[in-house]
Amino acid sequence: MSITEGRLSRADLLKAGAAGALGLTFAGPALARGVRIDGTTLNMLTWSDHYANDQLKAVAKAVAIQGRPTLFSDNADAYLKIKQTHGQFDIVSGDALWVPKYHKDGLTTSFPLSEIGTSKQLYSIARNFPFWKDGSNYMGYPFSWSTVQIYYNPKYVKTKPDSWHALLDPKYKGKISLENIPTDVMAIAARATGGKKPYSMTKAEISRAKAFLKEFKPNVLKLASQNNEVVRALADGSAWIGITNLGTDDRVKDAGGPVVKTAYPKEGTIGFIDSEQIVKASGKHDAFFKFENQMQQAKWIAKNFITNGRPLFNEQAYKILVNTGHGDRARRQYYNQPEKALKMTIKGPAGDEQAYVDAFNEVFG
Amino acid sequence: MLDTATTAPATARGRSRLRRASRLVQYAGFLPALGLFGVFFALPLGLIVAYSFWETIDYNVVHHWTFDNYHYFFSVSTYVHTMWATIWVSVLATALTIGIAFPFTYWLVRYVRRGALQRLLLVLVILPFWTSYLLRVYSWLNILGDGGAINRFLQWTHLTHHPLSFFLYDRPAVILVLVYLYFPFAVLTLYASLERFDWDQFKAAMDLGATPRVAITRILLPQIKPGITTAVIFVFIPILGEYLAPQLVGGAQGVMIGNLIVNFFTGAQYTRGAAAALLIAALIVVLLVVFRRSLEVEDPYRA
Repeated sequence: MSITEGRLSRADLLKAGAAGALGLTFAGPALARGVRIDGTTLNMLTWSDHYANDQLKAVAKAVAIQGRPTLFSDNADAYLKIKQTHGQFDIVSGDALWVPKYHKDGLTTSFPLSEIGTSKQLYSIARNFPFWKDGSNYMGYPFSWSTVQIYYNPKYVKTKPDSWHALLDPKYKGKISLENIPTDVMAIAARATGGKKPYSMTKAEISRAKAFLKEFKPNVLKLASQNNEVVRALADGSAWIGITNLGTDDRVKDAGGPVVKTAYPKEGTIGFIDSEQIVKASGKHDAFFKFENQMQQAKWIAKNFITNGRPLFNEQAYKILVNTGHGDRARRQYYNQPEKALKMTIKGPAGDEQAYVDAFNEVFG
Repeated sequence: MLDTATTAPATARGRSRLRRASRLVQYAGFLPALGLFGVFFALPLGLIVAYSFWETIDYNVVHHWTFDNYHYFFSVSTYVHTMWATIWVSVLATALTIGIAFPFTYWLVRYVRRGALQRLLLVLVILPFWTSYLLRVYSWLNILGDGGAINRFLQWTHLTHHPLSFFLYDRPAVILVLVYLYFPFAVLTLYASLERFDWDQFKAAMDLGATPRVAITRILLPQIKPGITTAVIFVFIPILGEYLAPQLVGGAQGVMIGNLIVNFFTGAQYTRGAAAALLIAALIVVLLVVFRRSLEVEDPYRA
């Protein structure tokens, strides 16, 4: 019966539904075969600046291992996801002191760096971070680093803001942009208020940090979900000051924005040293080594620097940058001075994460 | 050969079995939805409920039953204040959306001849759906921002010499974007209702001396009340849980409760986040119960 001939009976509807379901059942695998990627797939829990799509495609072609990224913003979020999903992810990116926490809690496994041939291209300091050593093994493959500092537009900000307290000036009302990462914002506030261990503040120190943020809040234009929003706000002039990673000056310029200058607060700052780690429950450890060996090739790392602007640990990539006319830019971002990475307060898990998030929300709600 | 006395009960039993089977078949169509909502809605919701009564200690969700997360939420004025702000932003955005969508839909149904033009206008209403939600919100940065279309126009016409920054990164920007985002939902819902309305009743009221305003308020609105209520539900409820629009255009002053919930989750405070999310869900359930009465259609011809 055609549906145009009259009412569709229930029996006809059920028959049509059953036929459709059967069709899909048989057609599904056939269609899936048409789009399947042969080889291994590695699920990565990472940041958007750790890969490029053309890089993933090229690596898949070279070693038949497809990287499938899922993004996260805060280390705490990634940590809990790995903890709760067991072997669903194969690779997880992590910052500085988060890496030993993952390892200590049995979520990742250490490995000899020599398993990844491209590790020879790394600066020697990056192969010897004491906090990532596990006997002769390493807990993660070193990737990039950056301090978090103040960038300002000299057209509007006449006095260099060389202190976190300079940002409390009412003349900057609604003109400062920074990333919405509660733990790190609290750690910056700890630096500003003399907290001894910015990621392990005492209750009294948390109160002082919170009071600082309360005073700071009117000057905040927006808490950006991604770093590129801070770049955009500086580029279009809606923000005069950004609290963000190295390389922002170049990225603002690339986005057609004004010249922005950098200022290092005298109280010190925080920063990250990040890495790629093997998830212990993954079961694809050999594929990890092959995959990272391709992903971390100097040519890709040099491209990554040009796109994202902050220094990385691959020394050979620095040589490529120098040879291709990007040496000045790389030096300006301290690419050739990886030892600077150890002079900042490196990111790590908060002693009492709940107290950090509560205090942050209570200020910015 | 069986006689009639023995075959009759057997036939009756057979008929009863058939009836039962027939009743079961009736529910067959319900099974996929039951599976889908059971696995992907009811089960996760149950987990969220459980999480909201647990604790997070050193990045571990500990199964200690407690009301602490709820107690914390109501004991901190920031959350209560942000919750109220979220409610009034949602109410205002919904009122504006319906306020703009209703006259437009009324005009579309009443004055635009049914056919190609009406279809074209409806397609134009849903045209924004052809681009991603994120892109639609993001595009407002190019309209309202310091270097955006409005500021460029104002400077081009010499009405201002510097960009005006109050268009963006505050609650008015959030409300504006929300009205834009949810306008198509309101129009489509109201259109379905107005399109079925018997306009002869409206004309009869006018023939009997009613002014247009009286005809609208006493004849039209009572009959399309379920449509208006549905439009309110489709607009108000999603706005209550909005996260992205306030995140992108709201700035530090345009925060809604959804943004604070996200902070809990990114900071691995799943138990706090679950409690806050459930409070929003509870509010939505209460509103749906209230709205349910408005969805009951009265028979206009009742004796």
